[in-house]
Amino acid sequence: MASDLLSIGASGARAARGALEVTANNIANASTDGYVRRSVRIEEVSGGAIAGRGSDIAVSGSRVGEVRRNADAFRQAELRRTQADLQRANVELAGLQNIESAVEQSGIFSSIVEFEATLQQLSGDPTDSARRAAVLGEAETLASKFNITAGSLASVGEGLRFNALADVDNMNTYGAELARVNLRLARSGVGSNDQAALLDQRDNLLERMSAFASITTTFSADGTVAVGVGPAPATSFVSGGTAGTMSAAIAADGTMSFAIDGAAITPGSGSLAGASLALTDLAAMGTRLDTAAAAIATTINTAQANGVALDGSAGQPIFSGSTAADLRVVLTSGAGIATAPAGSAANERNQQNLIEMRQALATANPAETVNSILFDISSKVAGRTVTQSALETIASSARIALEEQSGVDLDNEAANLIRYQQAFQASGRAMQVASDIFDTLIGIGR
Amino acid sequence: MINLSTGAFYERSTTQISSLRARAETLQKQIGTGERLTKSSDDPVAAARLRMLDREERISKVDTRNSQSAENNLQFTDEAFAQIAVIISRARELSLQASSATTSDSQRASIATELDGLRENLLGLANGRNASGHSLFGGQAIGNAYEVDATTGVATYVGTATLDMVEIGEGQTIVPGNTGPQVFSFEDANGNQTDIFAELSALATALRAGGQAAADAGRDGLTMLDTSFDKVTTAQTVLGSRLAWLELMTDRRTDNLERIEDERSVMGEADIAVTMSRLQEMLTVLEASQSSFVRLANLNLFSMLR
Repeated sequence: MASDLLSIGASGARAARGALEVTANNIANASTDGYVRRSVRIEEVSGGAIAGRGSDIAVSGSRVGEVRRNADAFRQAELRRTQADLQRANVELAGLQNIESAVEQSGIFSSIVEFEATLQQLSGDPTDSARRAAVLGEAETLASKFNITAGSLASVGEGLRFNALADVDNMNTYGAELARVNLRLARSGVGSNDQAALLDQRDNLLERMSAFASITTTFSADGTVAVGVGPAPATSFVSGGTAGTMSAAIAADGTMSFAIDGAAITPGSGSLAGASLALTDLAAMGTRLDTAAAAIATTINTAQANGVALDGSAGQPIFSGSTAADLRVVLTSGAGIATAPAGSAANERNQQNLIEMRQALATANPAETVNSILFDISSKVAGRTVTQSALETIASSARIALEEQSGVDLDNEAANLIRYQQAFQASGRAMQVASDIFDTLIGIGR
Repeated sequence: MINLSTGAFYERSTTQISSLRARAETLQKQIGTGERLTKSSDDPVAAARLRMLDREERISKVDTRNSQSAENNLQFTDEAFAQIAVIISRARELSLQASSATTSDSQRASIATELDGLRENLLGLANGRNASGHSLFGGQAIGNAYEVDATTGVATYVGTATLDMVEIGEGQTIVPGNTGPQVFSFEDANGNQTDIFAELSALATALRAGGQAAADAGRDGLTMLDTSFDKVTTAQTVLGSRLAWLELMTDRRTDNLERIEDERSVMGEADIAVTMSRLQEMLTVLEASQSSFVRLANLNLFSMLR
């Protein structure tokens, strides 16, 4: 007899134990990020019959053939792609929302309207000192609201750049880590538990990297991966055991550009792309706000220069500065507002110059400029919100699809626990039988 | 076989429940503030329109203030007109008395003295000030409308020929008063330009001279004073129509403000009834999905293993 009942039973018990361990491991990692469900393939061990003795029973039990990792490369790639898109939309939307609230909550629009209103109020009685003081007070509010907005926009930019720089650092860390995982993967055995854990790590790192930029992956047979960054043709970032260095540069207008090992790249998607889009919008918004501030200062100062103040002296500028950040009121007294035309005497009630000033302001129409700035940014936010929520749905269904395929189902694992426990008990029973047979054989001679 | 992963179940439930919660909270915020829009991006078009409505409203309020002060000035003028009319009537009475043959020269002389006093009063009214301290009949003049020569006593108009218009909204303007010449100047019987002050002092001088000439002067004075009175009543009528116009514009502005308010509530306010029932609906769905989540989460094979 070529087979050995006791060792067959023992091999069955060993295989069942292995399967139980894998099941327990699945249960333990049921909520671990990036853990892919393992399953055990149990295969028969065949002893091989001796030639010509076909009637011999040649069986040798079972063994754990492979610890399979139930990963679906397509769904993982889909998750990385949708995740990158979602991150881009998230970061861009957050940046745009900050820009919106910076411009809207500072109340520039209402203070421009208020400034216009006080000028109109002054036209009711151009020599009234209270009305003159109201104009100057409102001019100061207007200037400081422009300053506040410029300050908030600057801090929005700083926040975006700070996060982007941190993301670049993380990208480099993950790249280096992935290179190390690649090296170890090249040395691990196919189908081994060690390889499965390394593959988990690899996929986890890839997923994290995809949150920063769009990445393209090329997998080799041994499980190692080469990563490129950006839209096709991608720039190589990680290849085998070596990882490149990503760097970021900040331009004078606050926008950012990225490079890998000195070669310029576009992130394509991910949070870096989002940050760079938001920074571009921010720079454009800053320019438009500066234009609006400069238009107010120039219009009012030009009109001032054409008229005379309450004391009959030539009109002096009300505003200084030509950007939102440095707009200031330099006129110290309301009496300095030039309501009367040039050549008028002191205390002149003729308000020709005030009329011209108001007409010039109505033509320059800063309220409409700021209104359209607010409209543009808010409609951009509204549009991006729709895009973002669509991308969120897509990304979350991609994640759920992957989870469904590769995640742990506790019910399934509970069933496996029972199944393998029973298999273990049955194998134990087989060993018992072998022992009984042995005892019987020994007893014969007695 | 589709593998119903536990992780996927929790992930999906969390997404669904948190999105329901977020929507319920948005509705709650709308009910709490009464505003449909908390930031411009909630509805960019409506927000832009709301901003322009706010602007219109603010400008309209300034118009209201300017119109009120114009109305004030017109009322000051109106009161002055009433007093001027009384003075001119009294002067006409005196003139009639002087023209009578039964009136003696000494009586005419005392009438002349009273006429001088009336002229003084008229000058005082002509140099009156409005609520903001500006000359009532001087146009855009800074000080008095009439300057009286210290030696000759001749009153000369020193104000401007016209008065600046005041904006009262919707592109409409109004002249907030009258200049001196519009009220006090007229043409005498020979078609020469003259004014009430010159005529009154001439009349007083003629009455003091006495004799038949004085009685004739008194008679001529009647015609002169009638012309002057006409001038004042005409100015008063114009003033009345201006006040009516102001009132009309004030009504229009009120209507306009109501329209702005209406449009604003349509654009930006949350309809409480609709929002409440939508919130209730959302809460019902939320409650249902929460309790079904708890039940499904308890449905676990491990609880069956003993």
